[in-house]
Amino acid sequence: MSLWVDKHRPKDLMKLDYHKDQASRLKNLVQQSDFPHLLVYGPSGAGKKTRIMCLLRELYGSGAERLRQETMHFTTPSNKKIEIMTVSSNYHIEVNPTDVGIHDRVVIMDLVKNVAQTHQIDSSGQREFKVVILNEVDDLTKDAQHALRRTMEKYVATCRLILIANSISRVIPAIRSRCLTIRVPAPTENEIVSVLHSVCKKEGLNLPSELALRIAKASDRNLRRALLMCEACKVQKYPFTPDQKVPEPDWQQYIRETASMILTEQSPKKLGEVRQKLYELIIHGIPPDMIFSGLLCELVRNCDISMKCQIASYAAEYEHRMRLGNKPIFHLEAFVAKSMAIYKKYVEESLGDAF
Amino acid sequence: MSDFPDPDEEYELMYSDELELMKENEDKTDSNPIKQKSLPAKRSLDFSSHISKNTNHHENIESNKKDEDINLTPSLQNMEDVLAQTNVPSKRTAEDLFGDINDIDFDNLELPSKRQKTDEENDFELINKILEGRRLKQLLTEPASGGNINTKANFDVKDNISINIPKWPFMPLTNSDGDRIYIRLESEDNWNKSLEMDTEQLSLRATYSSAWEEAQKICRYSSSCGWMFVTRWPFMPLTNSDGDRIYIRLESEDNWNKSLEMDTEQLSLRATYSSAWEEAQKILEKKEQQTLKEDNTQPIIDTAENTSLWVEKYRPSSYIDLLSEEPVNRALLHWLHLWDKVVFKKEVKTKDPQQRTTFSKRAGQFQLTNKWKGKKESEPELDDDGRPHHKVALLCGPPGVGKTTLAHLLARLAGYRPVELNASDDRSTEAFRSALVSATSMRSVMDVDRRPNCLILDEIDGAPTQTVELLVKWCTTTVAEGAKRKAKTQPLRRPVIAICNDLYATSLRPLRAVALTVTVGSVSCARLASRLAVVASYERLRVETKVLSALATRAAGDIRTALHVLNFLRAKTKLTISDIENVAIGTKDTSKSIMQALQAVFTLDNTKPEAFHRIIQAAGEYDRLVDGIFENYTTARVDTRLHIASETMSSLGFYDTVQAWTMRCQNYSLYGTLPLCIARCHRLLATRTYHKLKFPMQAQEMYRKKAELDSILVSVWRGSGPHVVTNRDALKLDVLPLLPYLLTPTLRSANIQLCSESERSTVRTCAGALCDYGLRYVQQRASDGLYTYQLEPDVYKIAFMGTEERIRPQPVIRQAIAREQQLEIIRRNEEMAARVNPRKSNENIKKMEEKVANVAEKETRLPNHLQRLKPKTIEKRTPQVSKYYLYLYHKTEEFVLIC
Repeated sequence: MSLWVDKHRPKDLMKLDYHKDQASRLKNLVQQSDFPHLLVYGPSGAGKKTRIMCLLRELYGSGAERLRQETMHFTTPSNKKIEIMTVSSNYHIEVNPTDVGIHDRVVIMDLVKNVAQTHQIDSSGQREFKVVILNEVDDLTKDAQHALRRTMEKYVATCRLILIANSISRVIPAIRSRCLTIRVPAPTENEIVSVLHSVCKKEGLNLPSELALRIAKASDRNLRRALLMCEACKVQKYPFTPDQKVPEPDWQQYIRETASMILTEQSPKKLGEVRQKLYELIIHGIPPDMIFSGLLCELVRNCDISMKCQIASYAAEYEHRMRLGNKPIFHLEAFVAKSMAIYKKYVEESLGDAF
Repeated sequence: MSDFPDPDEEYELMYSDELELMKENEDKTDSNPIKQKSLPAKRSLDFSSHISKNTNHHENIESNKKDEDINLTPSLQNMEDVLAQTNVPSKRTAEDLFGDINDIDFDNLELPSKRQKTDEENDFELINKILEGRRLKQLLTEPASGGNINTKANFDVKDNISINIPKWPFMPLTNSDGDRIYIRLESEDNWNKSLEMDTEQLSLRATYSSAWEEAQKICRYSSSCGWMFVTRWPFMPLTNSDGDRIYIRLESEDNWNKSLEMDTEQLSLRATYSSAWEEAQKILEKKEQQTLKEDNTQPIIDTAENTSLWVEKYRPSSYIDLLSEEPVNRALLHWLHLWDKVVFKKEVKTKDPQQRTTFSKRAGQFQLTNKWKGKKESEPELDDDGRPHHKVALLCGPPGVGKTTLAHLLARLAGYRPVELNASDDRSTEAFRSALVSATSMRSVMDVDRRPNCLILDEIDGAPTQTVELLVKWCTTTVAEGAKRKAKTQPLRRPVIAICNDLYATSLRPLRAVALTVTVGSVSCARLASRLAVVASYERLRVETKVLSALATRAAGDIRTALHVLNFLRAKTKLTISDIENVAIGTKDTSKSIMQALQAVFTLDNTKPEAFHRIIQAAGEYDRLVDGIFENYTTARVDTRLHIASETMSSLGFYDTVQAWTMRCQNYSLYGTLPLCIARCHRLLATRTYHKLKFPMQAQEMYRKKAELDSILVSVWRGSGPHVVTNRDALKLDVLPLLPYLLTPTLRSANIQLCSESERSTVRTCAGALCDYGLRYVQQRASDGLYTYQLEPDVYKIAFMGTEERIRPQPVIRQAIAREQQLEIIRRNEEMAARVNPRKSNENIKKMEEKVANVAEKETRLPNHLQRLKPKTIEKRTPQVSKYYLYLYHKTEEFVLIC
């Protein structure tokens, strides 16, 4: 009796709701004896993990679903003890190396080697290799990525890697070329609607299609979010009405409020207030690039095209600088100040034209 | 002579007179073994001591080279000394130098005479050794001592050098232009004897060489001065390069004649002469260059007076001399006088006479002392014991403003004997305690005045915290407490003055509360400049007022630094502003606080544009500074179009980029650009008006809050079950923000039994979700005494931005969910167990559910303790109860018996 997100997760490659073409190809790939390293990438909530779990089930049978959580300990060269949580079955181990920050190289080296150097005891009727799943590969440090290169080739006989990333732009080309890259695009709104309908049908609920569409739109093409929203709707009010309120994450609303603050008044005082809001967002761990994109979407909503270009280019510039720097608040505020200045100028000009 | 005499040497020093006597008596057969043992070492000492003793024998030679009439300047100094000192030739320096020369010469000349006296023939070897050593010393080191021998001052060059053939024994020297100089030779008897011995000749040669050197020098001088003279005494004629002749007086011409007869001697002599000549030439050239540079208006400085530092010399010796602010001095002095009752048993002036004096003074002149406030203040100044309210005075201020001087002076002025305890002393608690006891409860016997002590604790901010705590405890002990403890800790009966630089040092925190804090501010530039002018006039130093004020500004209120710089620059004739500005030592190590630097960023100062960079770099912490700019820039200037804001932000962004790169690559080549970013902000933001600036706190506050929320997230993430675990970003962005909505079911009734099936399933879903994500409802006692169920970890904090309370379910629903969750946990455990051994599972589940229902009910009524004692349990344990009664019965019997 858990959440729909977890309860109605497909467990078989053939039962996936969308990207069925890709699923059948993956099935074919698994059924052949050989199986390369995979690099699965796509936006959050697109179903990467679901596909990988299906794949493992396809590979090893239902034994791959008996998961356990373990904490592993490593020692860095500087004698610092680090621990990392892993989720593993008899056939695979899943780890999120970025949890340990800059020591991720140690985790990769030790863990992958450990797994790769032990052969399966009973090789009859089983695969000869284990699978290591590495999450958030795009956030790995360069050192860790380079540590991965050679390991991937050396232990290919006993170990396969499945790398999960949101975007491959920050994965070094050497790793990209060693893997079979599989892109999992975010589901379209229609696909989300159909998934929502099927889930509600399984739960024995009647979901109006208008509400389903609204949820799909609000979910930002993120299926996980869509399912959670749908369930939240159900908890708040059932039977569904087409115009009922769809709860959404508070931070999204907060970003919208911040953007509207920028648009209502452009003054240094307001800038100070906006800063508090930005601080609040950062405190809650909202990634600064999401704040950037959220603000930009709201800011350019009511602009003419030249201003849109201007603000978008500045957003890109400051976001780039933010990635180079350490203090996101500086760059966020720089963007806010700049867009305020642009907007103010625009308003003054339009007022000037009016008179 | 060694600086650090070992025991043997000490012994020798003690008995040096005796030993000398023994030596002079040629008492070689001394039977005392100890004394004999010390003899060889003594000899080396003896030589040096003879130097001073026997100088009279050789005064002639020394004085050979001295001629004040021709402005003879010393030239055997090494280069640096020449450069530094020859600017100011004087009698003294000349004497010093000749003293040096004397020291060198003496050793060589000394031998014959000494031998004549002591006649230690079999010690030649030793003598030679010493000679060698001496020569080495002569070559390598510049003899520095000997300047104090003034006895030769009355000898004149004229006595020893002559151009005419003199009557006394002489050595003829020929100038390059054919003139002859006759130099007097001294102690001809000695010479005679010494020359007869071949072994001695070596030393003679050395002597001649030095004599020759001197003679050459003098030649140069006399020739450069264009002054020639012929003497009447025995002389050695010397010829100059430009043809002049100088006669240098020589002693013991007979010896000389004899020695000259020897061919070998002459060869060596010539060699010596040539080298000596070369040396002399070099030195003379140097000298000539120097003389060109010389300024006629040089002030004459007495080297003898330079022995004490100016800082010591001009330390204030009376109250009027103090440079610190008058209120500061008064405050401390007043406090010291408050001790009079305890220390001197005389009544402290109360407010009445004070008022009277002010009254009388008021008639005559304007006085500030009659403040109404003063009446109030004097009330708590003394406590019941008659001691001042503050037992310790804490003087604080920057270094070099005269805190220590002030404390010492005022203590003496108030009739105390200052006893100083500073950082150089051991300040462990034990040592400190003993010092405190001895200083405050004892009195010096040796002191003539029989003054009571006043303890001055210098540099107390460096003392360990325990020590300061001890002091505080010591001070705060009252008489009553002291009496109780039987004189173990006597109450403090003497004033204690503590001195520190940093008032807010952590170790001083306890002391600050009990001490009278007197802040000695840095001296104003004008006052410092006027004091410097006084010093300069005392030192006969002609310095412009402008220069002095520049120096005072540079010292930034530090008297010590200013005096040191002035002392250092004294050698120059005229002090100019550029001298002051160029001198490297004068700059105080300016450490600016972050707020000072921040203030500098926001204030426009056209007078010193270059000072800004210095302040920024002195402040150091660029990160803090940038945070400060970031938090204050919005209010700095009127900025309606936000151009300044966006420009400032872009330069701050640049700063961040560079800084991050520097840290990431550990490459500090661009580190120098960081202050430039700040300078750009200064350009954009600086105004002339004063702004109240905030200390940058936001960044740290943010960091703290973020860490708190992150820890919540991590605990949720770690607690969540293996089949739901996702990456943290997804948890943070999708799951947790929506989870509160899912955990807030709407139920018609709080009683779960009355709910419909669908409602019950909703609650079960909630419980399942809680289990999946490792969340728990925990009973917590709120501030109003009621127990409430709180979600642990508190995901609401992550999910909402300051509007957490909006979605929280009602307490009854929370209670229902909590109960359901416990059932769910047991159910899951059962499932796990069923997987291991499937047979028992079905029976157990039902049983467990019943049990859990009980447990859950109890849990829900947890605050009510009486309800826990159900009659059921009593029923079960009836035999136990009877036993218990028996036991009780037994006990009461016993009890009765005992009674």
